[in-house]
Amino acid sequence: MAEAILFYLFAIGALAAGTQVIFRRNPIYGALSLVGALFFLSGIYVLLAAHLIAILQIIVYAGAVMVLFVFVIMLLNLKEEELGEQRITVWKGVGLAAVVASFGVIAWRALGPAFPQGALMQGDRRVDNALLVAGFGGVKTVGRILYLASILPFEVTSLLLLVAVVAAVVVAKGRI
Amino acid sequence: MEVTWLHLVPLLPLIGAAICGLVGKWLPKGWVYAVALASVLLSFLIGLRAFIGLGEQAPLFHELWFNWFSAGSLRVDMAFSFDRLSGALTLVVTGVGFLIHVYSVGYMEEDPGYWRYFSYLNLFIAAMMTLVLGDNLVAMFVGWEGVGLCSYLLIGFWFTDEEKAYAGRKAFIVNRIGDFGFLIGIFILFNQVGTVGIAQINSAVLPLGVASIAALCLFIGATGKSAQLPLYIWLPDAMAGPTPVSALIHAATMVTAGVYMVARLSHLYVSAPGVMAVVAVVGVLTALWSALIATSQNDIKKVLAYSTVSQLGFMFIGVGVGAFFAGTMHLVTHAFFKACLFLGSGAVIHGLHGEQDIQRMGGLRKYLPSTRTTFLVATIAITGILPISGFFSKDEILGQALHTRAFSFLTLTPDGSTRLTWLGPLIYAVGSFSAFLTSFYMWRCYFLTFSGEYRGPESVHPHESPSVMTLPLWILAALSVIGLVLGLPQAWVHGTGLQHWTWEHFTDGVFSRPRGGAPEEFSPYLGYGIALIVGWAGWACSYALYFKRGLAGDELLTARIHVLRGALANKLYVDELYDFLVVRPFWALARGLFRLVDATLIDGLFVNGIPTLIAWVGAMARRFQNGDVQRYLAVTALGVAALLYVFLVRG
Amino acid sequence: MDFFHAHQAQHYLVLAAMLFALGAAGVVLRRNAIIVLMSIEVMLNAVNLTFLAFSRFPLVPNSPMGSFLSGHAAVFFVIATAAAEASVGLAIIIAVFRSRTSVNVDEFDTLKL
Repeated sequence: MAEAILFYLFAIGALAAGTQVIFRRNPIYGALSLVGALFFLSGIYVLLAAHLIAILQIIVYAGAVMVLFVFVIMLLNLKEEELGEQRITVWKGVGLAAVVASFGVIAWRALGPAFPQGALMQGDRRVDNALLVAGFGGVKTVGRILYLASILPFEVTSLLLLVAVVAAVVVAKGRI
Repeated sequence: MEVTWLHLVPLLPLIGAAICGLVGKWLPKGWVYAVALASVLLSFLIGLRAFIGLGEQAPLFHELWFNWFSAGSLRVDMAFSFDRLSGALTLVVTGVGFLIHVYSVGYMEEDPGYWRYFSYLNLFIAAMMTLVLGDNLVAMFVGWEGVGLCSYLLIGFWFTDEEKAYAGRKAFIVNRIGDFGFLIGIFILFNQVGTVGIAQINSAVLPLGVASIAALCLFIGATGKSAQLPLYIWLPDAMAGPTPVSALIHAATMVTAGVYMVARLSHLYVSAPGVMAVVAVVGVLTALWSALIATSQNDIKKVLAYSTVSQLGFMFIGVGVGAFFAGTMHLVTHAFFKACLFLGSGAVIHGLHGEQDIQRMGGLRKYLPSTRTTFLVATIAITGILPISGFFSKDEILGQALHTRAFSFLTLTPDGSTRLTWLGPLIYAVGSFSAFLTSFYMWRCYFLTFSGEYRGPESVHPHESPSVMTLPLWILAALSVIGLVLGLPQAWVHGTGLQHWTWEHFTDGVFSRPRGGAPEEFSPYLGYGIALIVGWAGWACSYALYFKRGLAGDELLTARIHVLRGALANKLYVDELYDFLVVRPFWALARGLFRLVDATLIDGLFVNGIPTLIAWVGAMARRFQNGDVQRYLAVTALGVAALLYVFLVRG
Repeated sequence: MDFFHAHQAQHYLVLAAMLFALGAAGVVLRRNAIIVLMSIEVMLNAVNLTFLAFSRFPLVPNSPMGSFLSGHAAVFFVIATAAAEASVGLAIIIAVFRSRTSVNVDEFDTLKL
């Protein structure tokens, strides 16, 4: 019961924030809405017993990436008149139709009868609790996965971050 | 008997041709002559040595020089076989060829292209030897084509003159038409017999239809090469080449290749009696046709050319009625006297500094005595008024035609009611008339050239040729006389040593007998009598018209039968007919195809069309990249939707 | 009341689909490059949600726990990659803005034939 309320609360919040991101003219409002959306999504992650990821989302995503976004927006310092008008073109209509179609396909599949149901979701709280006690979604278990099973992607990702740092500096600096 | 030196006979002249052709321009003149003459002489000597070596123990020399190629079940070797027939022909070709080489030394003295000439001449000897000695049809065909090539090269020797070049081209093209038939014949025989070896083909048993078609196709090749109806048209035009060339190629050797081929494959031809009838009929018609035309020609070489065509017709009569030995004997004797006649005419032309029209000759017996004597001897030989070589060979053919039994099995109608036994006698009658014409026109030629008074311009001083040219004439004249031994009737020489020298005895066993068997023993004397009467009748008519009166004789004839005479003088308009029927449509077709296929289709569609198409597609494709990022994003979204559909809905 | 008691994955998946559609719509419709990048972040978050939903509600029930948690690992990498991509993308926008004083994507049209 509580989950239902929390879920709908967070869901509506996330959707509203997301709508604000794409519809607001001023990018600062968009960025702040996105931060809000990330927070709401973090809450949903907790509902899904993904505790580590939820915290990481707040620290890294909302705390670092969005800060970067805000910095850049402020750096560009676009005036009101420079923000530009929206134009309607054929291609935008095509794209929008494609987007709606994508949503329709995914929803149809997700809600369809062919979608099997896992064992974990019988709503048996004892099963759920046992899993949580075992550390599902916690630091230890996720860490074990990262450092044992997927060590190669882990190292490559670190390399990727290094490259991104260098690239960002080089591209944005203009004259090195 | 297997030997290893036979290949030298065609190889030595080939090497000579290579040397003369490649470096002859820069060698001293004497060296070129030496190389050319030596190679042919050596071939002759090797042939002579081999010929003497032929006997009871070794009736055949064979050499497998090398395997040319093998493809599937087809195996083609360069192999040569030397038996009595090919041996005799080897001697004739290399011997007469050598004499003509000697003659050419004098004739081509002042020509700057002499090294080219001797190269081609040697090449010709090499190719002809390949043809004669070839042991399988493909090797023979190599020689066949080779002599055709040399004929083209030598006819068009003075290629800067357009007409002469065209004459060479005409010879090659007409030959080619015949060669196509030859090739079809080879294909049929290979298909049916499984090999192209002549010995195997001769011993194979073929059904009548197959043998007939194969023999007919091969004979079409022979009509081209040996200038029979309807493909003789190149031979008169071939007189555009130097006279020794006419003597060698178009009188003595190359044109006889067709006769040789039929004789070589005698076993094949006797199993196709219908085709033999065709051969004989074509031969006699050709003999008559060209003899008629020869009576009205004024170029001395053209007279001899048509005479050659006519005599070749006689040879084909011989092989067509099953008397292969008679046809080939006439081949040998004809080589002697025709070469002598041509070389003599060459001496006349040389002595008159290029004049070839007999209307401007006359009285040359005073100025060219050697030439006149040899020419006279050769004329006696060809017309048969005295019993020297030509008399016996020609009469043998006609006698065999009269008494042949080769056609007794042939019928015109399917029910077998009308048998063709009358064909032989008919051929005899027409052939005798042609012999009469032969005598008539040859004596006309002699009288108008050597008798009477000189009718040419004052500025030309006729003179005799140097001895390097007259010596071969004497040798050939002597051979024309001695050659009578070949044709002596068996009744006269039976039991004497001379019997071995008669051609009939010499080639006994080489040829096959026709289905009806050999003709029964007939007395030759009646035939001799009729032949003598015919020959003398021709001489008499010619004497009356031309000996005293000179050209007035021509005017008399023209007054009487001017339409016929006019047509004959114009070669019976055959060339014009061919031009209308064949050449013009061909050119029209070529032009049409050029416009339609080449210009429109290939140029328009492929050469220009494809780039245009590519440019158009490129222009279409270019519109995808206009730099509009939002359009790219929209398309990306479209792609994502499609992917999702494929993976989620379609699985 | 009972409809959520089943606690199924469909709700999370539909929510993720909606967020994905929202993000994609923003990418397609907006002219401002920074807004476009933020819409991309929204899409990435929708993907994260999907991963975690499938991690919590697996299709094959009786597998060891490690296999469930591979979804979490994936999300970890997605976040890292999103960070890298956002930084580089913003650097590019700054560089372009320096020469053109505009961040509207429909004005970046010089790369054409």
